[in-house]
Amino acid sequence: MAIPDRADERRGIERELKRGSLELIVLHLLAPGEAYGYEIVTKLTERTNGALEVTDGTLYPVLYRLERAGSVTVRWETPERGVPRKYYRLTAAGREELRQLEAEWTTFTQAMAKLLRQDRETK
Amino acid sequence: MMTADEYIAIVIDRMPVDTPMRRQIADELRAHIDERTRQGHALADVLQQLGDPEKLAESYVAAIPLDVVSFGTRAAAKIIDAMLAIVPVAILCSVLAPKDIALPALVVGMGLLACPLFMFYTIIAESRTSQTFGKRLMGTRVVREEGTRITIGQAIVRQLPWLLQIFWIDAFFALFTERHQRAFELLSKTRVVSVSTQEAVS
Repeated sequence: MAIPDRADERRGIERELKRGSLELIVLHLLAPGEAYGYEIVTKLTERTNGALEVTDGTLYPVLYRLERAGSVTVRWETPERGVPRKYYRLTAAGREELRQLEAEWTTFTQAMAKLLRQDRETK
Repeated sequence: MMTADEYIAIVIDRMPVDTPMRRQIADELRAHIDERTRQGHALADVLQQLGDPEKLAESYVAAIPLDVVSFGTRAAAKIIDAMLAIVPVAILCSVLAPKDIALPALVVGMGLLACPLFMFYTIIAESRTSQTFGKRLMGTRVVREEGTRITIGQAIVRQLPWLLQIFWIDAFFALFTERHQRAFELLSKTRVVSVSTQEAVS
């Protein structure tokens, strides 16, 4: 069996972390009100100065998943000029999902921070 | 270079035809590409941001659960399909075969006619619509292990056990493998999954 490359392994961890947090990110960005796909993509880049670099191709399937799960409702609107836009809005279930994911995320990061701090102190 | 329409066509083509909101996905991607290019981004960069169309299709269909189908349901679907091939051949033979033909010869003859018909039909139906008639009736469909539509090549590999006369051994595997896959399904990286009720609605 091939031994996985260290850099590969790290990228793998990063990918897993991102996958776990993507839904939370999208739900959070939709919390203030409805938005369309392109808006969410650009908002994410702006807010994080590109640190949370999520490609466009990763975001749309997440929106699709959320729609299928009933966390968001959608509405199509055609602006006077240009192509129709698909607007997403959180449902009550979506807000509940956001609240839970947020709580889980906070618990996890606090526990991690605590653990890492402890290990530094005992060194 | 790939155009936006070509890119979207690949993404949509890789999704099983019964994927919910297939048209809407295409419209949204078109709107996205349109918006990005109007903001001054080069089309090549926009498509690169969206990634490999095959992978994008996989990410979309990952939202659709792939539920394992019981051996009994699969067998029932197969029997229905087999009947579909055998009945017309039997009728044809009863009309055309000479009256004095020996029974074993008749059975072998029918098998030689029905088997290719059955294989050909299954390959075409599974690669185009993910379902044969029997699968449709039993509420099952065939997909790649990633959930996307199977290719014609995969559809052919799935039917090889008939050609090689090892169908029973191959089917036997489905009793014991984790996802009830036949040996040639493991080989072709395809699966038979149930059509979820949620999907039937949308």
